[in-house]
This record gives sequence, structure tokens and C-alpha cells, in this order.
Amino acid sequence: MEMSREKAKNLASGGFVLVVVLAAAWQVQAQDANALYTSMAPLDQYLMADRNAEIALARSAAPDSISRDAEVLVLARHGYETAVKGKNGFVCVVERSWMAPFDDPEFLNPDQRAPLCLNPPAVRTHLPLTFKTTELAMAGQSKTQMFDSIKAAYDKKELPLPEPGAMCYMMSKQQYFSRKVGNADPHLMFWFPQKDHLSWGAEFAGSPVDIHQYSPQPITEFDISVSKWSDGTAAPTD
Amino acid sequence: MGQTLRIFALAGSVLVVALGATSQMRAQSKTSYPSMAALDQYLMPDRNAEIALARTAAPDSISRDAKILVLGSHGYETAVEGKNGFVCAVERGWMAPFDNPEFWNPKIRGPLCFTPPAARSILPMTYKRTEMVLAGQSKDQIMEGIAAFAKKELPPLAPGAFTYMMSKEAYLTDRGDHNIAHLMFYTPVMDGAVWGADLPKSPVMLNPQFALEGIDVFMVLTGMWSDGTLAPVNN
Repeated sequence: MEMSREKAKNLASGGFVLVVVLAAAWQVQAQDANALYTSMAPLDQYLMADRNAEIALARSAAPDSISRDAEVLVLARHGYETAVKGKNGFVCVVERSWMAPFDDPEFLNPDQRAPLCLNPPAVRTHLPLTFKTTELAMAGQSKTQMFDSIKAAYDKKELPLPEPGAMCYMMSKQQYFSRKVGNADPHLMFWFPQKDHLSWGAEFAGSPVDIHQYSPQPITEFDISVSKWSDGTAAPTD
Repeated sequence: MGQTLRIFALAGSVLVVALGATSQMRAQSKTSYPSMAALDQYLMPDRNAEIALARTAAPDSISRDAKILVLGSHGYETAVEGKNGFVCAVERGWMAPFDNPEFWNPKIRGPLCFTPPAARSILPMTYKRTEMVLAGQSKDQIMEGIAAFAKKELPPLAPGAFTYMMSKEAYLTDRGDHNIAHLMFYTPVMDGAVWGADLPKSPVMLNPQFALEGIDVFMVLTGMWSDGTLAPVNN
């Protein structure tokens, strides 16, 4: 779920000095993050006290034409709950940091808020992963335990592989992913059973396609940057 | 149609246009290209220009190592061998949906770069349609041939097949700005609502290009040309 074409942008945006400075800054940030997010914070820090605010944030992941009729989930002390029943098969939800790759230094960053609206194939095949990972995190499992549990769940086929057409909208202007990328950019995400990214043009300079290979989830994720937030306003292009 | 955004799929893709276009305009468009024009009008006399145009479909980092096809009088020919598995070509009007009024528009130039999965499972349709067109078949004959081809010979759709169509120099329709920067994803036929296509402010559109072939084409607007400059997004 980690985002953005920051790598390509950095490469394209300036001279060697800038790259070095950015790299150094990122290293410092990564060190900070490593130091900061070594263990789960108190649960309250991952929850949103205002239920209506969480509903609104979840809906902001997609244009109103999609999210207004979507089912909306909110995170409570024992997992996700349905806050609003839907009519169009989409489900909007604010994911937390533990949906990031396991090697992400901000895996337990309690500030992360990642709203997304899943289409029906993704509801069937991605949402179970969200539920499972959240359940493990909230049960207080360590990152290693979570990794092993998720791997076992896929090995036993308790978690499904992505269906054809599984995708989601992540176009919320209010999204916050990490100290590294902030709110990144508006994008769509597509999931596939794990693929070789070289056949897709992902992460080539200038390509709007970004890729994440997950582990232990046997999933390849493609992020396609788009130019506008869900409210129709233009996203920054730098 | 009022203020509704109308979408017309053309030339291997596209396109949007015409907020409030009148029926008179549509009628004019329909009568403009009733049959195939002289073959020369579809060809590009400058082979290097066609190679360059094909390459503009994707960022240089992708297209510079792609295989490049150009259209000759007997079909597509390999002009440049590739190294990365991508294939870039310039499609013509007959890659539009069969009921598109610009199906025979000889001005259409639709550069696109196929990812390797798309080169395996989508490019054969470009070859087949073009082969039948250049053999002088009627649209009805082509439709019949394509239906049979899709049923018996078309390779299975590779998961995640998509193409880049981010050329600033494309000419996809007589309408509007003639062009739009996008990617095209190919899926088994499914309800467009499953992707939230064609809804207000959605960057996704459903293109009926390959309805006969049993393949859905979802366009995702990128808002960026292949050269990195901003592209208009008319939604």
C-alpha cells in the first residue's frame, strides 16, 4: 500500500546535489522512523475518536459518485465495523499502517490514515487481508508473528488471491501515508497474483505506473497516478 | 445528452468529447467516413516519422527499447527490433468499435505501447483487423471474421495486460481536443460499474472497443503526456 513515484520524481527533478541531499534527508527520516515505530503504540492512537470523521475520510478516497453509495467501515477496538450500508458493491475504509509492507519502517506509525474504496472484486479478495492483518495487529502480535500468520493463511488458502479486475481508488486529499511521502498523490491501485514487474513498465522514469511486490502476501500491486483528487481539484505535479 | 460527458471510443482507444454536441454534428460525422478511403491515406510515407510517433506512446524509458511496428501496404512490419518485450505501433481508425462513425477516418493515428502481456494477448487483434482491412473486406465481413477469430484463435487474455497511450501527437478523433493521455487495461467482460467507470470525476472510462471480441477496455486518464508535461483531463 505504500505509494508514490517519489523515486522517479527525485531522479527527474534535479541535480546530483539535490538527490544527495534528499537521500540524506530520507536516511535521517528512515532512521527516525526506525527509532520511532519499533512497537505498537497504544491502541487509541490508531483509532479515530470521531466516527463521522472516519466515515467522511473513508468516502473521500473516491469521487462522490462512487463513495456516496458505498458501504463504509470504521475501525473500532475489536476490528472493522460497518458504519454505513452500501448499495453499489464498493466498500470504503481507512486502512492503518499495518497494511504497509512488513519492511516499511513506518509499519506501526499510528498517524497513518489510508482511505480507499475497493471495487467488488477487491472487496472479495483484498478486504479479507485487511481484516486478517488488522485482527492480528489489534491482538497485539509482533511483526514477526503477523508475518508468519499471514504467510500461513496464504499457504493454507485461507486468504484469497486477487480476482481479475480487483482495484481500488485512493484519491483522498486527506490521506496520510508516512513521514516519507506525506499524502503522496492520488492514484488507483490494482492487485494481481504476484508478477514480474519488468513486464509492466513500472517504475521506469516518467511512467505513471508504480509497483509494490508484497511479502509474504503473493501479491503484486500496481499504482497508477492520476492528476486529480477525488474532489476534482488538481494534485501537485512535483 | 445535455451536460453529460459523452465518450466515443476510437482508434485503439478513445475518446471523450463533446459536452452538448448536437445530433447534427454526429450526423455529419457519421456521413463523413462511410467506407474505406484510398489505402495511401492510411499510410505514413515517412517511415521514420511513424517510428517516432509510435515511440511517443510511452515514456522514453520504455519505448526506446521497445519493438516498433510500422504499417505497410500489406500489414504491420517490424521496423525496429526490441529488447524489453514492449511493442509500440500506430493504430488506425479501424481499431475503433465497429459502430464508431470514425471507423474509416484516415486521419486517425493512435500510437500505443503494449506491455508484454498485452503484446501476447491484445496485439493479435490489431494484426487480424488490419489484415482483413487491407484485404479489402467489408465491415460486415471483418466483424464476422473477428468474431470467429476471437472464438478460435485469440490467445487467452493475459492477466494485467495494458497499453500506454500517452502520446501528445496522437489524433484519436475529429472531435474536441482530438486526444487524451491514458492507459488502457484489458479485462474479461464485466459491468463497467465494477470499476466505477464513466461516473462524475472518476478517472476511469469504459471503452467498448473490443465488445465483439469479448474483452473490456478500461481507460485510466493519467493527466500526463509521455514527455512528462501535463495533459488536460476533461472530466
